[in-house]
Amino acid sequence: MFKKRAALSAPRMLHPSATKAAAIGLSAALLLTACGRDNGSGSGSTESASPIASGPATGTVTVWAQGAEGTALPALAKEFEAANPGVKVNVTAIPWDAAHNKYQTAIAGGTTPDIAQMGTTWMSDFSDAFEATPSAVDTDDIFPGSVKSTDVGGTKYGVPWYVDANVVFYRSDLAARAGHETFPTDWDGFKSLAKDLQSKAGAKYGVALPAGGADSFQRILPFVWSGGAQLVNKDSTKWTLDTPELAEALNYYNSFFTEGIADKNPATGAGAAESAFVNGSVPMWIGGPSGIGELEKAGGAGFADKYKVALVPKQKSATSFAGGSNLVVFKKSQNRDAAWKFIQWLTQPEIQVKWYKATGDLPASQSAWKDPSLSGDSKLAVFGDQLKDVNSPPSLTTWTQVSAAADTQLEQIVKAGKDPASALKELQSTADTIGTGR
Amino acid sequence: MYVLLLLAVAATLLPFAWMLLGSFKTQGELLRRPVTWWPQEGTLANYISWFTELHIDKFFANSLIVAVVTVLGNLLFCSMIGYALAKMSFPGKRFLFLLVMVTLMVPGVVTFVPLFVMVSKLGLVSTYPALFLPFLASPVGVFLMRQFMLGIPDSIIEAARIDGAGEFRIFTRVVMPLCGPPLATLGILTFLGSWNNFLWPLVAAQSEDMYTLPVALSLFSTGQNATNYGLLLAGSVLVITPIVALFVALQRFFIQSVAATGIK
Repeated sequence: MFKKRAALSAPRMLHPSATKAAAIGLSAALLLTACGRDNGSGSGSTESASPIASGPATGTVTVWAQGAEGTALPALAKEFEAANPGVKVNVTAIPWDAAHNKYQTAIAGGTTPDIAQMGTTWMSDFSDAFEATPSAVDTDDIFPGSVKSTDVGGTKYGVPWYVDANVVFYRSDLAARAGHETFPTDWDGFKSLAKDLQSKAGAKYGVALPAGGADSFQRILPFVWSGGAQLVNKDSTKWTLDTPELAEALNYYNSFFTEGIADKNPATGAGAAESAFVNGSVPMWIGGPSGIGELEKAGGAGFADKYKVALVPKQKSATSFAGGSNLVVFKKSQNRDAAWKFIQWLTQPEIQVKWYKATGDLPASQSAWKDPSLSGDSKLAVFGDQLKDVNSPPSLTTWTQVSAAADTQLEQIVKAGKDPASALKELQSTADTIGTGR
Repeated sequence: MYVLLLLAVAATLLPFAWMLLGSFKTQGELLRRPVTWWPQEGTLANYISWFTELHIDKFFANSLIVAVVTVLGNLLFCSMIGYALAKMSFPGKRFLFLLVMVTLMVPGVVTFVPLFVMVSKLGLVSTYPALFLPFLASPVGVFLMRQFMLGIPDSIIEAARIDGAGEFRIFTRVVMPLCGPPLATLGILTFLGSWNNFLWPLVAAQSEDMYTLPVALSLFSTGQNATNYGLLLAGSVLVITPIVALFVALQRFFIQSVAATGIK
């Protein structure tokens, strides 16, 4: 308590003598100008950016990238500098932990970089500060589901850099013991596989599914979309949550808990899911590509042969969740031409393959997937297939609030036995109060 | 009684023991269940990567510079303000003291963005002053010093004044030498606060060479989906070592001053 307060509320004492009131007034005035800065730009109406100058890139380009991406990018940027002798790329790595705060303050303080790595779910939070994608930037080769995540209110901001999709991880050795040589494709088959893993292959629970808590609703979206539900109407003016499709999806989802196939109180500690998967007590989960690396570490040598990945089970479709990061250019950029050129260069298929080899980030470029390092890997190929059918949550600033409300309802359904239909009715009215921000 | 105390000590030290032992484990072993206490396949890799490829010395130096300057600033400015509020009389004194107290009740998050906007308009982003300037004096420190100085008898100060000492001389030669305990408390707490501060250095430093230890720790060990626990634990050991050393060295003053001022 004390430490934080001492550290954070100190600024008022900068001028101890008598200018305190003036200092408070000044900071308030600065805050007001900061908030007013973006007025008149892109709330809903589409905008287009001016074209990019031709010729090689010159000048200095500052890039902010998070975590592993930020530490690996400088090596790749050297190649861009070699191809464009007049350019210098400065990369600053930012911790994932508080990257959102960092962008928030940088935008308010007007100290944004030229390029930033933006999580797909953050696009609508900050889009006012981004420059719209110039038409010269070609995104035809990028997975359409990911390009959709750059779209805020009809305008595209930035280009997908790397992608990630959720697929089903399952213990193929245990599935074979339970009599399932091939992975089922539909909802009924998925449930009977989970059931058989439990009854015939000695698993404690058939599948690990989120039972509530932060982002749990976001994580079950593959079931929601595959059941044919849409979260908002066509022009994003109204939430459509109380629908028969969503009720059906939740009923199906909840049946895993009521029939005891999934744990109502799953262990959430570090490594808990991995170790339960490795020892076979919970031999199936739905997750992203980072699971491959984690399982390699937790399972040790030879474990890779004991599990497989598969497309999310199909009902009306087999649509999964698209994650990953986009590259955006800030409006305040002093060197936008070079910035866009760097982004174009980074999203070329051969550079995307190099980037995959350096970081393990899955390429956003579809033709990059033809490279043997990706198409030759049976597990990655599944991610490549899944990426052809992915969706993202609505790019609305109010999505965070609505999904938090949905997390609460989901928890009540799973843990307190609330009826999905009435939960959806409540969720719909909460979402209507929050609105779509349009 | 001693059994209870020993149990309490064990419960307090257990997480630290876990951190220390964990820093010698591989990621695979840390993710394994059942958990192991003693490293089965001990490794120094976590420490080696901190000292070689990740250049922890650079971040260590940044943290140290910022913490030392912040501590010195607080010791000087808080005691000056505290002295004025405790022992001098001038119009508006009560109001000024009230303002100091009010700032104690404003949560840091409220002033965070305006503060950053100020620093950025001053052109200080990504410089050392950006990291320590906003924290050179703290309301808690002012309060602490004022409360202690109220207890110093006026007669000592008056005697010095009769002997011809000016206000500054009284402050440096008479009052300050009596303020050992609160200065020690203030120094330790400010050092801790600055050493552990994460969000401000992250936001104020816009290039990696200005990052402090907590920012570097988070940058290299925590990913979007996965955490490198071995690296995190080894880094944590390295970060808290100076704090533990400082506390052990100044323990006597610390306990004394807590007892003397009643403030922790």
